[in-house]
Amino acid sequence: MAAQAAVPGTYAWGVTVAPGAWARGAPVSARIAAIAALAALAAGATAERRWGERARITGVWAFAVACAVSWSASPRGLSSFRVDAPRGLAGMLAWGLFAFASCTPVAPVHSASAAGSSTRPPRGDMAYVAFGVLLASLLEVAGWRIESAERALLVRFIALAAGLAVIGAAAQVALVRRLPRRALQGSRRLRGAAVALVVLGLLALTGLLVLVLG
Amino acid sequence: MTLVDVLAIALVLASGGAFLGGEIALARAEDLRAIYWLTVGVASLRAAVQIARPGKRE
Repeated sequence: MAAQAAVPGTYAWGVTVAPGAWARGAPVSARIAAIAALAALAAGATAERRWGERARITGVWAFAVACAVSWSASPRGLSSFRVDAPRGLAGMLAWGLFAFASCTPVAPVHSASAAGSSTRPPRGDMAYVAFGVLLASLLEVAGWRIESAERALLVRFIALAAGLAVIGAAAQVALVRRLPRRALQGSRRLRGAAVALVVLGLLALTGLLVLVLG
Repeated sequence: MTLVDVLAIALVLASGGAFLGGEIALARAEDLRAIYWLTVGVASLRAAVQIARPGKRE
C-alpha cells in the first residue's frame, strides 16, 4: 500500500533531503526538486487507487529520483563530512523502511470479492487510512531534541515502527467493514480479542494503582 | 458502524496516544515509564487488530 510507504518516505525526506535543500546557500533547484519529491510521493499514494501498481512504481521512482536530484544539487548533500552520524543512521533506517514498505505487495482484497462488491475501495476506507497516517505523523513529532545519539535513534525507530503498525491497524479496521454480516458478530469479535483486552485492563489497573499509591 | 467498530477505532487512537507517551518518556530518559506506555500501546493495537479480524469467514 503506497500510503504505508508514504510515512517512512516522508520521514526519509525530512531527515536526508529537506536539511540539505533548505540549508544556507542551497540553490533554488534543490528546493524545487525536494518539493517535487514530496509531491511525487503524495501523487503516487493517490494515483494508486485509480491506476494501481503502475502508479505506485512510478511514484516511488519519481520520489527517489527527485530526492537524488535535490540532494546532489545542494552544497552539503554529497559531503560525507557534513552528515552527522545520528542523522546519517536515522536516514539509512528511514530509507530502508521506505524500500521495505514500497516493495511490500498490495494485500489482495478477498473480502471484497466474497461480499460481491467491486474492488474499488468503498467510501470511507480512505478516511480510515488517512486517520492512521495522521496518527502515525503525530508520532513523529516527539523526541527530536535528544542529546544522546543512541536514545535519539531508538526513539525514531520506535516512532517509525509504531506509525507503520498504527496505519496497518487502521487499514484492518477499514477492511473489516467489507466482511459478510455473519462474520461481524460483535460478541465473536470481542471473544477473539479477549486476551489482549484482559492484558490491557490489567495494565490500566496497574497504572492506576501506581498513580494512586505513588 | 457497530459499537465494536467504535471500540476498535478507540483502541487504535489509544494506542497512538500510548506510543506517543512512550516516546516522550523515552526522550526524557524515564525508561520504566516508557516501557509501560509502549506495552500499553502494543496491547491496545493488538486488541484493535483482534477485534477487526473476526477469524475465518463463513
